[in-house]
Amino acid sequence: MVAAELVPQEAIGRASLLWLIPALPLLGAAIDLFVGRRLGRWAGWLATALVAASFLISIGVVTQLLDLPDEERLVVQHLFDWISVGDFRVGMDLRLDAVSATMILVVTGVGSLIHLYSIGYMRDDPRFGRYFAYLNLFVFFMLMLVLGANYLVLYLGWEGVGACSYLLIGFWFEEVANTEAAKKAFITTRIGDSLLLIGLATIVFKFGTLDYGEVFTGAPAVLTESAATVIALLLLAGAIGKSAQLPLHVWLPDAMAGPTPVSALIHAATMVTAGVYLVIRSVPIFELSPVALDVVAWVGILTVLFGGICALAQWDIKRVLAYSTISQLGFMFLAVGLGAYAPALFFLVAHAFYKALLFLGAGSVIHGMEGEQDLRRMGGLGRRMPWTAFTMGIGALALAGFPFLAGFFAKDIVLEIANTNERWGFYVFGSIGALLSALYVSRLWFLTFVGRPRSEAAEHAHESESLMVVPLAVLGVGAALGGVLSLGPHGWISRFVEPLVGLVPEGEEGIPGPAFLVIAVGITFAGLLVAWWVYASGRVDWHRLRERLEPLPRAALHGWYVDRAYDAVIVQPAKALAGITANVVDAKGIDGLVNAIGGGTRRLARSGRLLQTGFVRSYALVVFAGAVAVLLYVGSRL
Amino acid sequence: MRTPIAYFVMLSGILFALGTVGVLTRRNALLIFMSIELQLNAVNLALVAFSRMHNQLTGQVLAFFSMVVAAAEVVVGLAIIVAIFRRRRTIDVDDARELRW
Amino acid sequence: MPLDNVVFWVFAPISIASAVGMLVMRNAIHAALFLVVNLFCIAVMFLLLDASFLFAVQIVVYAGAIMVLFLFVIMLLGVDSGVSVRERLLGQRPLAIALAVAFIAELFVAVRAGIGFATHAPPGFEAVNQPGNTQALSEVLFREYFFPFEVTSVLLIVAAIAAMVLARRQAPAVTQAELEAHRAQVTDELEHAAAEPPA
Repeated sequence: MVAAELVPQEAIGRASLLWLIPALPLLGAAIDLFVGRRLGRWAGWLATALVAASFLISIGVVTQLLDLPDEERLVVQHLFDWISVGDFRVGMDLRLDAVSATMILVVTGVGSLIHLYSIGYMRDDPRFGRYFAYLNLFVFFMLMLVLGANYLVLYLGWEGVGACSYLLIGFWFEEVANTEAAKKAFITTRIGDSLLLIGLATIVFKFGTLDYGEVFTGAPAVLTESAATVIALLLLAGAIGKSAQLPLHVWLPDAMAGPTPVSALIHAATMVTAGVYLVIRSVPIFELSPVALDVVAWVGILTVLFGGICALAQWDIKRVLAYSTISQLGFMFLAVGLGAYAPALFFLVAHAFYKALLFLGAGSVIHGMEGEQDLRRMGGLGRRMPWTAFTMGIGALALAGFPFLAGFFAKDIVLEIANTNERWGFYVFGSIGALLSALYVSRLWFLTFVGRPRSEAAEHAHESESLMVVPLAVLGVGAALGGVLSLGPHGWISRFVEPLVGLVPEGEEGIPGPAFLVIAVGITFAGLLVAWWVYASGRVDWHRLRERLEPLPRAALHGWYVDRAYDAVIVQPAKALAGITANVVDAKGIDGLVNAIGGGTRRLARSGRLLQTGFVRSYALVVFAGAVAVLLYVGSRL
Repeated sequence: MRTPIAYFVMLSGILFALGTVGVLTRRNALLIFMSIELQLNAVNLALVAFSRMHNQLTGQVLAFFSMVVAAAEVVVGLAIIVAIFRRRRTIDVDDARELRW
Repeated sequence: MPLDNVVFWVFAPISIASAVGMLVMRNAIHAALFLVVNLFCIAVMFLLLDASFLFAVQIVVYAGAIMVLFLFVIMLLGVDSGVSVRERLLGQRPLAIALAVAFIAELFVAVRAGIGFATHAPPGFEAVNQPGNTQALSEVLFREYFFPFEVTSVLLIVAAIAAMVLARRQAPAVTQAELEAHRAQVTDELEHAAAEPPA
């Protein structure tokens, strides 16, 4: 099913500029980091301009790629040798193919819009320059992640985005909670990262190289099914951590502590999709292990349901979107697990548009409400923030799967692939997930923009400046029209990446086509209508409704107490163990041993020093006795 | 020369032993110092005796050098004794016992 | 009995007796004089061993210069110098004597086994000492041992400087803190004087 690895082409023509795509953001990061304070507002414009330039170069490079025939669409640019130890060599290589081309367009495109938005959003922040330095650095690492031609460059970017994520979540580090959230994100993803690193080591062990080309061409011959399963599951563990899938999802809701544009860029549009990218990239390995693919699919579908239910119960506008992101990423994993790599990639692109849009819109709302994030204190903002309401409405409809918007196509393809007789379970659960997304996103929108203002701040909310509205509008267009990239399972994006990842698998249809469409659209409208009836029609007291459903909403609000469970099962025992090692093993055992040696020496010295009487003649006597003894020995040998 | 070499060596050894006894039993730093001179001379005697025995002048050269060094040593040693006496008003070596526990 | 045997047997007992005398004298000057006798005897032994140059050096440098220096210091510090002759280290004296006896006994055994008491000096030393002991010694000294010889000059200069530094009488050092205290006291007094009207 997977096409053979393509023959890499020389980076000539516009493609020779490939290295500039990550280099420009790196330059921006360096400048903003060192002289950002002096640049003032220009630090933001510089960072934005450099990422936008990267975007333009990406377009140039990708159009050249499109001009090539299908089987030549793979460009590798060797920058320099990174590691060269014996036979093991790792180059700093960049690789442009259909998958990475799609990714760099998303990263630089959405990234530059979010940079532009941030200039307005972060206007009054005292660490304005540093913020953009981090943001640019993040874009650099993300581009290295997707452009790397071997797993080590990918890993470099992987850890780099993790570090930037840490820096940006804890950007307002004056609040202890923010630094706690940053730490949590870093450590939680680190669990996955460590397993990923073991996976890379396993690849080196099996293949002797980390280069994509050599690994992918060699995989069918080198790997047995069990070896492929081991490697695939280790890679998957890394992906689960980065993409906040069950059971490592706990960091993402807390990561909303960072500035909202950061949530949009990192925790919705780009970094969290790195896990999906890794799995799509490693398709030749995953294809060898049906078990691993099944695991991917199950992780995905469980996360879809989990995230959807949690999102439905949140009061914090950003946490709704955070759980929504978890849920949507679950859809992507589901698609990958079902073997639909191209649709997964399309889902990734579409989601980047509408989730970035929703987050930026949420940021605009928060900005207009002077920092208020609680949905219960909003309401009726539609009249005061028309642009935000309109663009967010498009984003919400796209996410809900409203016909002919980007999200509709994305979700549709995934469900269509699940719609086979042997996979009906995925289809049913996926449809429930779709219903949930329609519900929670329209709940969000209705609670925010419709009805009467429920607080002082909501009455005096104001529309954001044009610097922030323009990116919203552009993303709105993307979210609305993104669907043209993929009309049906064999849309444009599928054809683009199919030479690399293979065709979308087809099985016997479960529900016939027209009926399937009607059901899909019906689910979306059902979700919208229910949300409208409950939250916007004014006929239902949703506070009382929620109380009647207790304790379910409370559990969902707290993410089904997963955090508390981790705390009880892992954190507290670990702390107790650490306490034992620190207070007993180290203090009593190891320190005791050291102290015993020291004390013993001291006691020995205390008695030994009595030999030192200070009488120089006593010393001389001993020396003479020694001389006599030596002479005795010498004389006895004569 | 009819006197056996061994006689000179034994004389040297006896004088050395007597010098050592002086170093070990006297408390006056000056007398200890004189005893050391006696030891040095005893060794010089042995060196010259061996020089005669091996028909070589090297032993005499070594004795000569040891005299030079002894002269230098006496100068420095006596200066130290004078300095100690100035500070402590005594040259009893048993009184100078700060270097102990 | 050959003449040199006679000389040896006369001077050897004298040197041992003078060494013992030096050990037992309470008075430092007497001890020093006994040491001079002993050094003379050793000089005679040098003469017996055909080392006439060292014989001269022994008398001039040791019996002359060094012993004068000793006597000078003894005079400078006072004859008794406040030193008691009582032994206060337990067993020091008997142990020292016992070890000395053991040392001599060991040496006796070693010399008998090594050289043997009947061995005479080989003939032909006159050839080594041509044209005379002083000239022959200077040949060896300035040809084979020239560099060590030069180094001894450095040693002597260092020793001379060291002696000067060590024996110099130093003025008590004044620390910065003492200066400071002194200054404060003076200012205090001045202020005091200014505050009180003159009587």
